[in-house]
Amino acid sequence: MTTYTICVFTENSIGLLNKITIIFTRRRINIESLTVSETERKGISRFTIVIKHDKREEVEKLVRQIRKVVEVLAVFGYLNEDIVYNEIALFKISTPIEGKVIDVENINKVHKAWVVYWGLDYVVIEKTGTEREIFDFFKYIKPHGIIEFVRSGRVAVGKTPQGLIEYLPEEIAEWEYYL
Amino acid sequence: MGNLLEVEAKQETFSINLEQPQKKDFLTGAQAMMECLLAEGVETIFGYPGGAIMPTYDALYDYIDRLNHILVRHEQGAGHAAQGYARVSGKTGICLVTSGPGGTNLITPIADAIIDCTPLVCIVGQVKSTLLGTDAFQETDMIGVTTPVCKWNYQITSPDEVPEIMAKAFYIAQSGKPGPVVIDFTRDAQASKMTEKFEYKKVNKLVTYRPRIVPKQEQIEKAAELISKAKRPYILFGHGVLIADAMQELLEFVEKTDIPCASTLLGLSAMPIDHPNYMGWLGMHGMYAPNVMTDQCDVLIAIGMRFDDRVTGDSSKFAKQARIVHIEIDPSEIEKIKKTEAPVVGDAKEALKMLMPLVNKGDFTGWKNEFRKLDLKEHQKVTLRDLKGEGKIKMAEVVAMLSDKTNGEACIVVDVGQHQMVTARYYQFRKPHSYIASGGLGTMGFAIPASFGAKMGAPDREVVGIIGDGCFQMTIQELGTIAQSGLAVKMIILNNNYLGMVRQWQQLFFDNRYSFVELKNPDFITIAKGFGIEGHTCEERENLSDSLDRMLKSDKAYLLEVLVEKEENVFPMVPAGTSVAEIRLE
Repeated sequence: MTTYTICVFTENSIGLLNKITIIFTRRRINIESLTVSETERKGISRFTIVIKHDKREEVEKLVRQIRKVVEVLAVFGYLNEDIVYNEIALFKISTPIEGKVIDVENINKVHKAWVVYWGLDYVVIEKTGTEREIFDFFKYIKPHGIIEFVRSGRVAVGKTPQGLIEYLPEEIAEWEYYL
Repeated sequence: MGNLLEVEAKQETFSINLEQPQKKDFLTGAQAMMECLLAEGVETIFGYPGGAIMPTYDALYDYIDRLNHILVRHEQGAGHAAQGYARVSGKTGICLVTSGPGGTNLITPIADAIIDCTPLVCIVGQVKSTLLGTDAFQETDMIGVTTPVCKWNYQITSPDEVPEIMAKAFYIAQSGKPGPVVIDFTRDAQASKMTEKFEYKKVNKLVTYRPRIVPKQEQIEKAAELISKAKRPYILFGHGVLIADAMQELLEFVEKTDIPCASTLLGLSAMPIDHPNYMGWLGMHGMYAPNVMTDQCDVLIAIGMRFDDRVTGDSSKFAKQARIVHIEIDPSEIEKIKKTEAPVVGDAKEALKMLMPLVNKGDFTGWKNEFRKLDLKEHQKVTLRDLKGEGKIKMAEVVAMLSDKTNGEACIVVDVGQHQMVTARYYQFRKPHSYIASGGLGTMGFAIPASFGAKMGAPDREVVGIIGDGCFQMTIQELGTIAQSGLAVKMIILNNNYLGMVRQWQQLFFDNRYSFVELKNPDFITIAKGFGIEGHTCEERENLSDSLDRMLKSDKAYLLEVLVEKEENVFPMVPAGTSVAEIRLE
């Protein structure tokens, strides 16, 4: 099984998530992770969808079928080596008075993770990295007692000098910047 | 006293509001909808009223001189009628139905239209926008329900949206690969007034949706190179040729190159059947030579077709030796089923025009004769048997005789099953847009509504529905629509008292175990008469010719029931999932 990252640019309108995910359902492809947010162009959303598949042709067919959705501007499919990608995870770790003290310095320096909230008897640690780095940290921190753990979907940008926005239809370039 | 004063004061404010002149002049959402339909050149609507669409029906009342509304008996009938109308005329079919069951009854035609690329705009009522998501009376999430089966859908919740969305809807339905568009129209958006003047601007471009019409020159050149080198080229054309109105271009292309060609089921009638290069149609029950020769050609030129499994059988074995040129407007169809060496994304008409100067006449006499040799085999083993004229009447005899009597020029609407395949085999199509069938979805019950839809779309043509006894009962209530609208639709029931195609499969592949396929049928002629439609039954071969004449001569709707051989099988047949080489002639 190979991991593919599919980036979809769409109009930001109601019901679009359904219109896109339904194509995965029809082809019986499971979505490993999904992130959606508005891009630097107002009114344009970007989906980052991670799937695993053993046939490249099938992924190409999927990409072409997503492109067919009327509100979709462009679709790009990537292998891991083509992109820079990351996820973010939050760990709620129990820190009772009598418990083992968490080694904040080690967490910062070795694991590149940060305590972002100090509760009375727990802390929240933020860890950014690949799925693997996050799970390495998971193993390290587990003995402290994980009260809650959440991991985001992947975000990714291509390893190309241009932004994906430049591949979008020309009219889009005229659209105002969000910021 | 205080209360009274307050009431008076309120009334005053109210009347002041009403008299704001500009506000009073603006159209309601429902009126705007009617204006949009007129602006798009719509003449005919197929529909059925109900609670949530009533403001629109009320607006329609003022437009009955300009918009012809056909009241169906079930929303499914509206959908298939709109399909028949669109398929025969090339115009967009319009359905107008209410929310909830009105909308869900329309799902089958919508699913049928997306797979057979039929342009429809379906306007479906919806509960008030304030009630959305509350399980209100007759509320169904039409956007959610139709998303997997339509080309585009949109929920209108404000009257101001109507012109822009409808322009978009028509453009999307008609352009590129046509398909059904669903407009979910909330009751308040229909009833309330616009806040601005109605203005309609047709859409012919969208940022996110840009179907390629003119193919890339390099793709054309690659395709031309492959075609020019071919020793045994073979053209397969489909519905795309009819949709793109590329019949003339196809004819010129075939005549210039002298390449033999065959059609898919829905490509039937795109080329006159007696053209010397036309070898017939292929597919599960298609003709022998066109099927078998897919294994012999060296270059396969697919035009406006999508390698459906009913065409290819086992697709991994289909045309394995051939290099494939695929002319197709929908990029997602390229390589969906078959590896393609020369894809050409674009409209069939444009692609053929661009290919013309790059191709030359080849000498394919020997190659074409190979088709003709196989034809002879089919003729001896199948056709002669079907038309022998012994025992009970065969479906083939009825169709062949009808074909002679109408000179192959009628518009034939068929339902789904054995009669559909027999009609494709024995009707000699000489005019385009003459075989209207539910090909992709295989919807039984398609033919009665689609035939009156087709009659509305082509009032000057003879429209004959050829329908099985099982199919006829799926939309039998639409006889009422035909009677009420006074359309001279001719219908033939080929009655074998069986669900014939399923029975054939049970006989051939399920060891004669006839599981729920025998029908105890009603007296169809009495039923038709009850609806006010004339008809009669033909049981004997010697009456068949007179019976057909009587039906064709009638200037009103007419139902002819022909009692045919009960256990007749349709051959040739490529059993499902096998390769075309395993085609059976008996």
